[in-house]
Amino acid sequence: MSLFRSDILIDDVSFYGRLKQMSWSLIILISVIAVIGFLSLYSAANGNFDPWATQQITRFMFAFVMMVVIGLTDLRLIFRTAWPFYGVCLVLLICVHLFGHVGGGAQRWLDIGVMKIQPSELAKIATIMVLARFFHGVEVQDIKKIKTLFFPILIIGVPFLLIVTQPNLGTSLSLVFASVAVMFAAGIALWIFIVAGVAVAGSIPIVWHFLHDYQKNRVMTFLNPESDPLGTGFHITQSKIALGSGGVFGKGFLEGSQSHLNFLPEKHTDFIFTLWAEEWGLMGGLFLFFVLALLFLNGLWIAFRCRSVFARLLAFGLMINFSIYIFINIGMVMGLLPVVGIPFPLMSYGGTSMIAVMIGFGMMQSCNIYRDARLPRTV
Amino acid sequence: MISRSPFNFSMRIDGERSSALDQARGRIVLIVGFILLAYIVVAGRLFDVTIIQGYFHAAEETATREDDVSKTHLARRGDIVDRNGVILATSLKTASLYADAKLMTDAEGTARQLTKIFPNLVYGDLLKKFQSERRFIWIHRNLTPQEQQKILNIGDPGLGFAYDYKRIYPQGRLTAHMVGYTDVDGRGLGGIERSFNSFLTKSSDTIRLSLDIRLQHILRRETQKAISDFNGIGGAGVIMNVKNGEILAAISLPDFDPHDPSAAQNDLHRFNRVTLGVYELGSTFKIFTAAALLEKKKVSMATTFDARSPLHRGNRIIRDFRPEKRVMTVPEVFMYSSNIGTALMGEAIGTQGLKAMYSDLGLMKRMDFEIDEMGRPLMPTPWRDINTLTASYGHGIAVTPLQLVSAVSAIVNGGTLVRPTLVMKDEKSKPQTSVRVISKETSLKMRQLMRLVVSDGTARKADVKGYMVGGKTGTAQKNVNGRYLDDKRISSFVSVFPMTDPEYAVFIMVDEPKPNKDSFGYATAGWVAVPAVARVISSFAPLYNLAPEQDAPDLAEPLRPFLHKVSGEGH
Repeated sequence: MSLFRSDILIDDVSFYGRLKQMSWSLIILISVIAVIGFLSLYSAANGNFDPWATQQITRFMFAFVMMVVIGLTDLRLIFRTAWPFYGVCLVLLICVHLFGHVGGGAQRWLDIGVMKIQPSELAKIATIMVLARFFHGVEVQDIKKIKTLFFPILIIGVPFLLIVTQPNLGTSLSLVFASVAVMFAAGIALWIFIVAGVAVAGSIPIVWHFLHDYQKNRVMTFLNPESDPLGTGFHITQSKIALGSGGVFGKGFLEGSQSHLNFLPEKHTDFIFTLWAEEWGLMGGLFLFFVLALLFLNGLWIAFRCRSVFARLLAFGLMINFSIYIFINIGMVMGLLPVVGIPFPLMSYGGTSMIAVMIGFGMMQSCNIYRDARLPRTV
Repeated sequence: MISRSPFNFSMRIDGERSSALDQARGRIVLIVGFILLAYIVVAGRLFDVTIIQGYFHAAEETATREDDVSKTHLARRGDIVDRNGVILATSLKTASLYADAKLMTDAEGTARQLTKIFPNLVYGDLLKKFQSERRFIWIHRNLTPQEQQKILNIGDPGLGFAYDYKRIYPQGRLTAHMVGYTDVDGRGLGGIERSFNSFLTKSSDTIRLSLDIRLQHILRRETQKAISDFNGIGGAGVIMNVKNGEILAAISLPDFDPHDPSAAQNDLHRFNRVTLGVYELGSTFKIFTAAALLEKKKVSMATTFDARSPLHRGNRIIRDFRPEKRVMTVPEVFMYSSNIGTALMGEAIGTQGLKAMYSDLGLMKRMDFEIDEMGRPLMPTPWRDINTLTASYGHGIAVTPLQLVSAVSAIVNGGTLVRPTLVMKDEKSKPQTSVRVISKETSLKMRQLMRLVVSDGTARKADVKGYMVGGKTGTAQKNVNGRYLDDKRISSFVSVFPMTDPEYAVFIMVDEPKPNKDSFGYATAGWVAVPAVARVISSFAPLYNLAPEQDAPDLAEPLRPFLHKVSGEGH
């Protein structure tokens, strides 16, 4: 018995055939997390569906349909659209610079009439797609060569520069993390990562030297939130008090006094994990971690089984992208990382991150269905 | 036909890419390991914050668990009083209303009548709760006796009262930042209430602070007046005993009502500018430069510095606010607040020397104090020689107002370090430490220089007759997102009196004062903070029975020979 079904593309290309081949466990795990999000938003509004839960449920249903549609799409189509999609994202990023909506001191949003979108989130997905597409075409004997690196660095560098100058350091760094993970999985020589890691660590003082005073100050504020008059230190203190007051089993649903009495800021967006853990305690938090870990393993299992390099790297990169979100958010609310304003995907109230991760899960579904598909090797 | 088991598949498939495929899979497994490790770290941290760190909170929480009616009595929290025994925070026993849905006989009627008594309750919400099975539902905390009577008149057995303590701050906003506030469950969330939380909850003992509510009031009134007159966005004030470090008054504006901290329009109101805010305070830092200079053996008051033209160092140009364009002696540099002259002093002291002085004065690190909201100073990093020049006149280095006042106290009190303190100690009114920062001689010279600033220099409006006031002004451009803005300033004045034998330091700072007509278009410290400090001292001195000495010789007199010309009243 082989891990692979056969050399043919797919057993059953009918609608139902493809639907059957979807990863249903992935869908269940996503739904569990989303439902935890709905419960938390219901609680955040003191036991009301408005103003957050109803809208979030509507959004999730929309995003869910989107995931299924993308999931049923032929992977070869996704394969072919990687470059055009990447191009569109770059154009959108440039548009943000030219006529973006300024929100919170940075140009990140693009108003397209009906809604505002954040092209940097789409650009992350596009970069992962194009990297997967690129490494798919690399000959096995070339993968360890250093010249192979030139093109991927260009692929990452352009969106990175466009995003970091918005300025949006958080998203641009997570783009780099996800891309480096893809390159690692693609089989780039290990010594390159070691050398690059040492080089980055060594260049920090030099980069620091060339930064403007105001950029240095911004980094200092980032490292030392207490000096920030807007009181991010206050937020973290409140978050930790709320978590601590939850204890092992929590205060119970709708009973999180810290969150409900407005001590906890942003309880419906960035700090939603705190609200969940205050009401459901350590056990609730560990349950959520358990579901997230299963989701992660499920995603990697999909990547693991893919025969084509493209599908494997795409599924892998998208899963890593999701996990980076999770770790930064959880680390932030528990005081392990500075407050950077990254939402908890699927749970936090808000559309952009929800749509972005669901597009990602849709592509992972397509990878799962077409895991044995043979894709052309043309570069 | 499809093997789903991860254990019995063959990793080898035919074809050129098989080894690459194997390797890529190996790496995916490696990353799985990494990420699972990250999950373990995060789960460990969750255990840490919910259980280990949350242990004390949890202990208090279980006492106030809302479904545990019998235990809603908290221990009475200790009072906080000022140095004269005036109550700043106390706890009153009050009744709170809860409902037991199972015992409720008339859910609709009760809900309707309750909404009449408490218009902010929503009928639908109440009814939903009353029709549930819940045994304990908080309705309204801290009832007035009239409200309690009306509820008794409803007479539904499903309504009950729990008694606990409500925290009351009779002085309201006046001490909000220093005394702090608690949440509804009586946990301290700011100021002394937070840092002494376990003391107050466990022992119920009274804490006596060094604050004097009368001075607190005077300081707040005058700082607020300076902010209002010059349309500033905020301010801070400190009165400190320079010998034993007792804080007699400390205010941060805008402030908030400690009974309802979450009602503050934004976090800026709760933000403690005295201890948590760090500011570039500009020329007041010249005190430390002059002190470090005078500590050097070969320097005397007659030593001169060439301030004829702006100073070019590297790519920076250092200019004076009002250029005298001549060679100046030490007293002249200090009195006219010459940046050029002070930068040259900084150059003479050297980077090591100036940093050592700052470090000895406790300006280089987060201060140790009795409340937790303490800011960390911002230093140039890396500190190059040009930074020494700019820091010498208070540019590019930011500290908390409390740190500045403590450091100035050490300079004037004979040269020994003081640690500021807010809680009264038994052995008082003697210097707490004998850590010498500067010599007695330098301390005297610094007092003469600071006196000269008030008698002849930029702070003449602070010359309250008979109290020998000395000090140093500072008007710094504000650094907003890395740019120094010409129209946004921080005006501050740190003063000490009486300079003959210093007792008290008074500091006032105004954030973003705008020029007005009465100040002839100036928003410098001499117009903003100095008159405010003068008003504080004029109210403070009589209150403390400090007799004016009208005939005493001026402390700055010995410096006059070093002045180029005696400045008139004209400008």
